[in-house]
Amino acid sequence: MLKPILLLLLTTSLAFAQKTEGIVTYERKSHWTKIIARLPFLSREEKDRAAMTWKNDDEDKVKMKLLFSEKGSLFTYESEQAQSDDGRWSWRQDDYFISRNFEKETMTDIIETLGKTYIIEDSLRTPVWKVMNQIKDVNGYVCMKAETTDPIRGQKIAAWFSQDIPVPAGPERYFGLPGLIMELDINEGDVILEAVKVEFKPVGKELALPKAKGKKIKETEYESLLTKHINDSIKANRNPYWAIRY
Amino acid sequence: MKYFILTGLLCLLMTGVFAQSAPARFNLLGKAVDTSAVALNGATVMLLTPKDSALVNFTRTSETGAFQFKNLKRGTYLLKISYVGSIPFNRTIAPPDGNELDLGELKLKPITKELFEVVVKTARAPLTIKGDTIEYNAATFKVPPGSTVEELLRKLPGVQVDQEGNIRAQGQEVKRVTVDGKSFFGSDPKMATKNLPADAISKVQVFTDKSEQAKITGVDDGKKEKTVNLELKDNFKKGGFGKLVAGGGSDLVPDRDNRARGEIKGNYNKFDTKQQFSVIGLANNTNQTGLSWNDYQDFRGSNSFNWNDEADFGFNGGRFIMFGDDQESLSIPVTGGRGRGFSDNQAGGANYNYDTKKTKLSSNYYYSRTRLSLDALRSRENFLPGDLSILTADTSGQINANSNHRGSIRFEKSLDSMSTLIFLNNSRFGTNSGLLQAEQSLFRNGETLTTRNVRNNTSSGQSLGMANTLLFRRKFKTKGRNFAASASILTNTSESQLDLNTSTQFFESSRATLAQRQDQRTNSVSNEYKASLLFTEPFKKKFFWESFYNFSLRRDVADRDVYDRMREGSTGQMPRLDSLSLYYENNYLYNRLGTSVRYSHKGINLTVGAAAQRFDLDGEYANDQSLFLRSKINRTFMNIIPSVGLNYDLKNNRYLNFNYSVNTQMPSARDLQPIVDNSNPLFIRQGNPNLLPSQAHNLWGGFSYFNPGSFTNFWGNINYNYFTNQVVYNQVIDPTTLVTTTRPENISGGFNVGAYTNFSFPLKKTKSNLGFGTNTSYGENLLYINQVLNTSKNQNYTFRARLDLTPVDWFTLYANGEWGIQKVNFSVDTRQNQTIYNYTYGGEMNIRLLGDFYINSNLNYRVFINERFGFNQHVPILNASVYKILGKEKRWEIRGTLYDALNRNLGVNLSAFQNFVTNERVQTISRYGMLTLTYNMRGVKAQMKRQGF
Repeated sequence: MLKPILLLLLTTSLAFAQKTEGIVTYERKSHWTKIIARLPFLSREEKDRAAMTWKNDDEDKVKMKLLFSEKGSLFTYESEQAQSDDGRWSWRQDDYFISRNFEKETMTDIIETLGKTYIIEDSLRTPVWKVMNQIKDVNGYVCMKAETTDPIRGQKIAAWFSQDIPVPAGPERYFGLPGLIMELDINEGDVILEAVKVEFKPVGKELALPKAKGKKIKETEYESLLTKHINDSIKANRNPYWAIRY
Repeated sequence: MKYFILTGLLCLLMTGVFAQSAPARFNLLGKAVDTSAVALNGATVMLLTPKDSALVNFTRTSETGAFQFKNLKRGTYLLKISYVGSIPFNRTIAPPDGNELDLGELKLKPITKELFEVVVKTARAPLTIKGDTIEYNAATFKVPPGSTVEELLRKLPGVQVDQEGNIRAQGQEVKRVTVDGKSFFGSDPKMATKNLPADAISKVQVFTDKSEQAKITGVDDGKKEKTVNLELKDNFKKGGFGKLVAGGGSDLVPDRDNRARGEIKGNYNKFDTKQQFSVIGLANNTNQTGLSWNDYQDFRGSNSFNWNDEADFGFNGGRFIMFGDDQESLSIPVTGGRGRGFSDNQAGGANYNYDTKKTKLSSNYYYSRTRLSLDALRSRENFLPGDLSILTADTSGQINANSNHRGSIRFEKSLDSMSTLIFLNNSRFGTNSGLLQAEQSLFRNGETLTTRNVRNNTSSGQSLGMANTLLFRRKFKTKGRNFAASASILTNTSESQLDLNTSTQFFESSRATLAQRQDQRTNSVSNEYKASLLFTEPFKKKFFWESFYNFSLRRDVADRDVYDRMREGSTGQMPRLDSLSLYYENNYLYNRLGTSVRYSHKGINLTVGAAAQRFDLDGEYANDQSLFLRSKINRTFMNIIPSVGLNYDLKNNRYLNFNYSVNTQMPSARDLQPIVDNSNPLFIRQGNPNLLPSQAHNLWGGFSYFNPGSFTNFWGNINYNYFTNQVVYNQVIDPTTLVTTTRPENISGGFNVGAYTNFSFPLKKTKSNLGFGTNTSYGENLLYINQVLNTSKNQNYTFRARLDLTPVDWFTLYANGEWGIQKVNFSVDTRQNQTIYNYTYGGEMNIRLLGDFYINSNLNYRVFINERFGFNQHVPILNASVYKILGKEKRWEIRGTLYDALNRNLGVNLSAFQNFVTNERVQTISRYGMLTLTYNMRGVKAQMKRQGF
């Protein structure tokens, strides 16, 4: 009588253990005419012209992956190289490794931006999430909505997290919800990351960051670097987001 | 009194309790169960701040459904429990008296299974929960186009619509239907559902609301009514915008007939998410012949640019062959600057685009008309072998009128997720007429008047051009495997008539006078049939094998009849001049098969390939169509062309490129037709039916770097071009009359080599920017003059500098300078070697004054120096305008402009090439003033700063 119960317990806990470790593949779609429409130095006419002209050609797709376990997570490009839609051309991806350690509460990011590679090491600071009364399905997972803001870029962030994967990990630099973030909506649809594949498997060693040379800075320094770049670019009538990640 | 004491006692007791047990922290526990009291294992329990729902803490329930939060700060919280398939549980938690609060069993209600399956799982629409009721937004339920909301509601789970149109939701009758939260045409719910189209609706929300009665009276009668709210699409963007610019003014030139100047240009656009309709129109006499890029984009919308319409496949997806055609373009001309001379222009058109993911349609019509009057003074010196030179002095006046109707259709259809079909049609019908009066004198060695010609020609013609292309592309499951096929038919027919009326005096030879009056009629038809195939196959992950095949058959027919008006009979009959008449037929067959391998990995794209191509030229010609004895042309040309390309994406925005390719250009129809063009009797042109395609071997290497952090840019490249079978116009000069006859011929050996650099960086970020650049080139051009080979060697050195100043919001200045030196050596006569200096200074200044007044001025100062001719010309063109933006919505602009304020627009041009040096002066619009009024529905913006990118 005891044996089957034990077995049941074991299997359920096993099933649970499996659901806390794995790889999520996201499709990151950015709509650059929507991003352009946010630039304060462009007139209504110029924004509309871009939106009209590039109506059928404003979506940029790239696959990203998130490796996660209860201990931590690593978010980066699915492939080291980007490929054109027909697969005939490829180009290099900028270094972009976002690593979170939930045990030690630390972060290490390797980001190639503004002509340099930066290594951002700091303690974890969880974004302030607002949990909303909305649920929806993302790739077979029922998700709840949570919202926050990015004060550096002035963006509204909406995250759809699944309580079926009880790991506080997420794509880009977002984390800290009672479930894995399956969909991330940056600024009302300007950029959307949607989970297209979820695989549960041990990822232990794969969570390690690759070796990289770069300038070590703290999160606040990185933030002030971005703030300065955005301010300078807007002043010079340039789109800051050609050079930094939106 | 009793009450008083009791209350007092209670107060005391309360404060006692408070004083005794107000710990700073407390524990919160509870148990999540479903409606039948079964424990919910693994439910997410969250604590939020009640003010803004910010997440404070979260945990999960254990197997028994229990959860607990320890050591919570005292305060009010919002407890939220969520579990798959249940309506999230919400409760406000007030801090307990003690240090522990046990909430006991908390029941989570299930979401109706049907609703959950259909809305959340199948439609993937978000589900919004408000309290105990559910609003579901259903934008993804497909109904046929033209359906009403009633049909949409029938599709929704839990909603029934009966024969009469009565709606029941979750078993209850729906009493109210609102649109965007407002009642729609009274209280009958059927009014909205029967009349509104389904595709105007983005969300349908079904929820329980207080009764209408309760809402009016404010007394909650406890009755709840099922309500359906229809939200209209807000992304169902519908709108229109437009712009109108109108201006009037006058020339301000002393000692000349001052003409009134005017311009008007307007466009209007109407669009929704799928469609765009636009009209544009313009008229002016200020030399603006066509649309600007901005006008063009506003007119064509989503079909301004279509990158994937190239039907001639080749290396790197490029086109296989270029036709050096002198035909006017089939697509709408976009012109940047102002033309020369004096022109009256009118244009207008309409465009319609329909775009969905699967089907895209675009069509447009565009009409343009230009009447150009051009008075020019030209002098040209040609250097000939044997210490001879000819100076040509030329005075001409001409009026040309052109009008063109253009139309295009583009249709794209996704046949399935893997294949696409595109149909393209571009057509043009044009008419032209011209009047030329010219006097031309030839001086031997710059001194002795040898020949003089006076011309009075009238010409007219019409032409029809059309290109139809069908393009099919298919992808496969294996990424990188692609197949494409295309077929095109290109047609060009033209009819032209020239009434030649000229008289030539020969001063040196016989002192004779030759008068010619001819009626020249030329009809030509050119049809081209093209087909191409492309196949790409990936292998070994990093490699692609690409193969293509191109076929083209061009068939030209030209029929030219020249009649002698001098000998016109009394009945109007004119004898035919056989020496100038011609019938010509030519088939130009082209086949190419090519293949290449590309390595593509980590930012390196390397392509190596080769193609074999063959041209078959098969034609015949005679003086008259009826003649059986025709001269034959029969030529075959075959060769192998290589292609190498490298793109290397180094880290941190550094890129390296290298390219070697061979471009093939077919001779133009005009060069091939063995016609004698004597429209200028001193400069006779002949065609050559034996021409082979010309080939340019291009070698190109470049490096670019930009630093987005510091705004520093550098790019540079070197290039080398070597020409084989280049088409040049060899000259034969009659030694006594100095009349030149040219004939296109193939020649190999010409080349040029050049280097280009550009460097720019901020002096002070966002305030000032400095840039430098250089161009250097050396080239050799070959040409036979009287059967003697002349090599002209051209050296060019240019240095560029620019300074952008944007110190404050109200002042910007952009200055640039360019200093160029051109040295030309002629092998036939080294004494004629020339050095030409071209300097250009430019500047643009913007000032914002008080009260929304702005000043904009720009200067273009050009200097031409050629010491050998004592030529030193300074041409400063200064434009200045003052404008004010008006209205609360900033939709109006009034602008006063003075063009060419210094009145120095002389239309001067100086150039040297092959064996000649030429300078030209064209009478052109010079100083004029204009007052312009702009109305832009989307607002006018002052352009103080240039756009970065």
